[in-house]
Amino acid sequence: MLKITGGTVHDPANGVLGVVKDICIADGRIVSGVDGGRSIDATGLVVFPGGVDVHTHVAGAAMNFARGVTPENYRRAVRFIHAPDRRAGLGGITPTTFATGYMYAGMGWTTVNEAAVPILSARHTHEELHDIPILDKSSLVLMANNEIVLDLLEAGEVERARDVVAWLIWAAKAYGVKAVNPGGIVAWKSGKNASTLSAPIPGYGHLTPARIISGLAGIVDDLKMPHPLHLHGNNLGMPGNAQTTLETMKVLEGHRAHLAHLQFHAYGGDGWGTMRSEAKALAEAFNARKNLTADAGAILFGDAMTVTADGPWEHVLHGLTGRKWSNVDVENETGCGIVPYTYKERSLVNAVQWAAGLELLLLIDDPWRIFLTTDHPNGGGFWRYPELVRLLRDADHRRECLKKIPPKARGRMVLPDLDRQYTLSEIAIITSAGPARALGLSRKGHLGVGADADLALYEEKPSNGLMFEYPRYVIKGGEIVVEDGEIRAVTHGREFIARPAFDDRIEAYLRPLFEKVYTMSFDNYAVEVERLGQPDIHPCA
Amino acid sequence: MGGKVTCTLGEVKNRADFIVYWGGNPAECHPRHFTKYTLTQKGRFVPEGRKGRTMVLVDIRETPSVRAADIFLQLRPGKDFEVLTTLRALLKNQRVDEASVAETGLTIPQLQDLVDRMKRARFGVIFFGMGVSMTRGKHMNSAAILRLAAELNAFTKFVCMPMRGHGNVTGSDMVLRWTTGFPFGVSLARGYPRFNPGEFSTVDLLVRGDNDAALILGADPGATMPQPGIDHLARIPTIVLDPKVTHTSRLARVHITTAATGISAPGTVYRMDEVPLPLRPALKSPYPTDEDVIRRIRRAVAAKPAWTPSPDARIAGA
Amino acid sequence: MPILTLKEQPPVPLEAESLSPDVVAALTLDAIRALPVHLGKSRRSVGDFFEVAGPHGDELEIRGDAAKVKWIGRGMTRGRITLLGNAGMHLGSCMKGGSIEVSGNVSDWLGAEMSGGRIRVGGNAGGQVGAAYRGSLTGMTGGTILIGGSAGLEVGMRMRRGIIAVAGQARDFAGLEMKGGTILLRGGAELRTGAWISRGTIISLKPIPLLPTFSYACTYNPTFLRLYARHLSPLGFVIPHDEKDGAYERYAGDAAVPGRGEILVWKPAGS
Repeated sequence: MLKITGGTVHDPANGVLGVVKDICIADGRIVSGVDGGRSIDATGLVVFPGGVDVHTHVAGAAMNFARGVTPENYRRAVRFIHAPDRRAGLGGITPTTFATGYMYAGMGWTTVNEAAVPILSARHTHEELHDIPILDKSSLVLMANNEIVLDLLEAGEVERARDVVAWLIWAAKAYGVKAVNPGGIVAWKSGKNASTLSAPIPGYGHLTPARIISGLAGIVDDLKMPHPLHLHGNNLGMPGNAQTTLETMKVLEGHRAHLAHLQFHAYGGDGWGTMRSEAKALAEAFNARKNLTADAGAILFGDAMTVTADGPWEHVLHGLTGRKWSNVDVENETGCGIVPYTYKERSLVNAVQWAAGLELLLLIDDPWRIFLTTDHPNGGGFWRYPELVRLLRDADHRRECLKKIPPKARGRMVLPDLDRQYTLSEIAIITSAGPARALGLSRKGHLGVGADADLALYEEKPSNGLMFEYPRYVIKGGEIVVEDGEIRAVTHGREFIARPAFDDRIEAYLRPLFEKVYTMSFDNYAVEVERLGQPDIHPCA
Repeated sequence: MGGKVTCTLGEVKNRADFIVYWGGNPAECHPRHFTKYTLTQKGRFVPEGRKGRTMVLVDIRETPSVRAADIFLQLRPGKDFEVLTTLRALLKNQRVDEASVAETGLTIPQLQDLVDRMKRARFGVIFFGMGVSMTRGKHMNSAAILRLAAELNAFTKFVCMPMRGHGNVTGSDMVLRWTTGFPFGVSLARGYPRFNPGEFSTVDLLVRGDNDAALILGADPGATMPQPGIDHLARIPTIVLDPKVTHTSRLARVHITTAATGISAPGTVYRMDEVPLPLRPALKSPYPTDEDVIRRIRRAVAAKPAWTPSPDARIAGA
Repeated sequence: MPILTLKEQPPVPLEAESLSPDVVAALTLDAIRALPVHLGKSRRSVGDFFEVAGPHGDELEIRGDAAKVKWIGRGMTRGRITLLGNAGMHLGSCMKGGSIEVSGNVSDWLGAEMSGGRIRVGGNAGGQVGAAYRGSLTGMTGGTILIGGSAGLEVGMRMRRGIIAVAGQARDFAGLEMKGGTILLRGGAELRTGAWISRGTIISLKPIPLLPTFSYACTYNPTFLRLYARHLSPLGFVIPHDEKDGAYERYAGDAAVPGRGEILVWKPAGS
């Protein structure tokens, strides 16, 4: 039992916007009152629901591939020294699993959504998620380049496609569906891409990216998944791709959808020399389309690691930068490309990207629909979220930062004209309440009675560093896990998985197909639920 | 420099029309490779099966794998690096020295032909084995294959894959990577993971005598290490966990017989393409699993006075 | 100048990055004795393994067979270390200034990623002299490393600037992926010298086998070598450069990259 007294509470999901009140915790949940137990005096501290990262890459084949090809980065990384109750680990841009848990919790984030899992290696993802301490997790399974599903969509067999998708979600023990560069990754397997939404994908008769997008969005809605289709759109990173994003929004009319790392899809211009931010136009269109949520995918100047299923984009990036390139094509399902990258203030293109992320966060008017992310590790390390928060809350600081970018860049953006400053409650929405709602996690992101007792207590103006960098306390499931920036207890979180309904007979359809194009026994494909540490199953009804 | 371009084995089955085996003998060492993944299956985009594929075998001697090859390139021992470097140059239309090339046992026309075929492939793959990774040059031979495969992507789809050895060496690589950041050769002596092949890799530690105890699990260094390493294992307290009494067991202080993973013990194995597969034991064993034994050792160690690394360990190393 | 005499051989490698002029300069002898060293996983003190004597200062002398002592002089920026005996791995790693003199042999990673200063080894060196650590893009970026004996694998791997001179023979891959700087091989090398070089100069005073991707360019006496000769001669490394003594065959490579490095092989007159 725990009582947090006198803190200034921001619980926007329950209409509490900076009110001094007590929070009571028992058996891992928020309760209306407690008798006895420990008491924390939170006078002068700000109380937030624990952070929820709606889009990050922390576990599985892609991240482990990135770790393997960049051993040199670990020499500069934060070191986690092992102790009787704490595992050794390394931070940096591709943190090891134990370090990932400590680092997120160390900032006050308590739930993460691993955004890209191939079914073929889902078993691996769950093994890594199991080794991330403290945090609760969910994961999204890649679907938009799954050749069995694409064949069914091409053939117009939507019902069967829906059953296959549902079966695959359950086989992967995932929480939701991810679409990356629909059609583009399968095209990459023959060295091509899918850049036009309305053009048939190479190798297919008439199946277009647009059809995949609307098909999958419809399926996810029909299956009543807690989180809508999570889409990394076509033409990521390319100048002029804002046009693709606007077209994509049109394709998604009538469906729920979440647009991932929108910043990387917000560019105008027709080449690297004329690239500009089109965040303003995107924000206007987005504001009008209430069926959509998005996460920012903002970049921060400094080192990053681009790790994405968008293989063609990574090959382009390698050609542009000369930095080491890694790629793995995953049979019948997806692929992954990796290129280490550094965002530089003096680069015109990077300055435009930096501005675009902030513009989206400042111009999208509903904080319940735009969430704070850097598409870790693509835009920058997740532990730098406090820097983003500062940029959103302090217009003067933004102006200081704008002075460091090339003068020519200022004509490519509207950021210099934006005065908006986020309130603390709005920050609580974009880092916690909003993502929790979008993910359909009803016990996360708020501090009402019945919620999971995940909270963070911050000094608003700490003497060292930024707010959110070193919380005074972090509580997870009612246990104090962090105190004064130090890990105090290591708990083990749950894994949220969804169980959509499907016709069991779909297995008889899948088995022979699978045995023909895959290279393992069908019986080895699905992940057994027993293999997950603490699964929390969400039935979709 | 650095990086790796690869795929899962199903991509090879469905798409590869040009397969190179370099420094390996799959017919004997990976006996189902040809039939499950690379040569005889009808692939989604190679419906003609074997007829739609060309297999090139590169090795220092004729092995039974030659029978499956369309082209056999026999190079002299210890010349893999020279040949691969030459191929990289030919790929870029650069000049190479004829006499030097001849020393490899192959000719420029042979190598030029190989480069041309690779460029013309729709989807090529180089599988490389211990004949590359364990001969003079070692990791640089592997690096040469990785680099060549990556550079071929300027012309066509090309990937490479190491032919991993027996046991679950890939699995150990995977787990070490996600828990420590590094695939092997990891030191935790300073309280956090550090990596330096040649300093912390097993053969080097043993040959130099840099360690004063050893716990051996799922390996038999007493059979494979250079003699100074074996002598060192015999001198220090060595503990072996294995289903069988091995060469190492015979010189160890303690041998604990454990159940054979995959046969009597469950787990996960990672294939050479890093795809995880569940292991469902078919038989029961009277012996404890490796996991049981390690947990019991850990519990006993935890009961001893704790060793906690000092705070200044944070500034250790490079 | 403090004098440290190894009184006890460490049973396993001793990590002693605190043995650096930057660390000891301002310390009393007692404080030096209390400096941490790591024996495997245990934290110990300098005084457990070394007798410490002499006046304090930023010139450190270490006596004894310190072949198992690693990281001496790590990151040093000034002062001097004199080793009367052998030293272990990572000697002078990431060094920025000052000097290190070793009478005996050293192990791998001597002067790895150093950016300034001078290291002189009387005996043999191990592998990866002045090299980049695994995965790192760049090795040595400045400074001078002189080795009186032989050297191991990957001498000067990915170095970008600086001079490495080896009196004895180097093993395979000297100058691997070199990006700049100079390597002088008085005693020649084994295989694959200059593999994948993009820039830089390797000078070999003995004939060496070359990769097929190196092409003979010309035979000449480059003028820049006179400067190098003048610079290295007082340090005990003679570079022949007079026409009457011979000339250099220049080989350009590595075509695999394609790189613009060069290997100069000395051809004495009359041979």
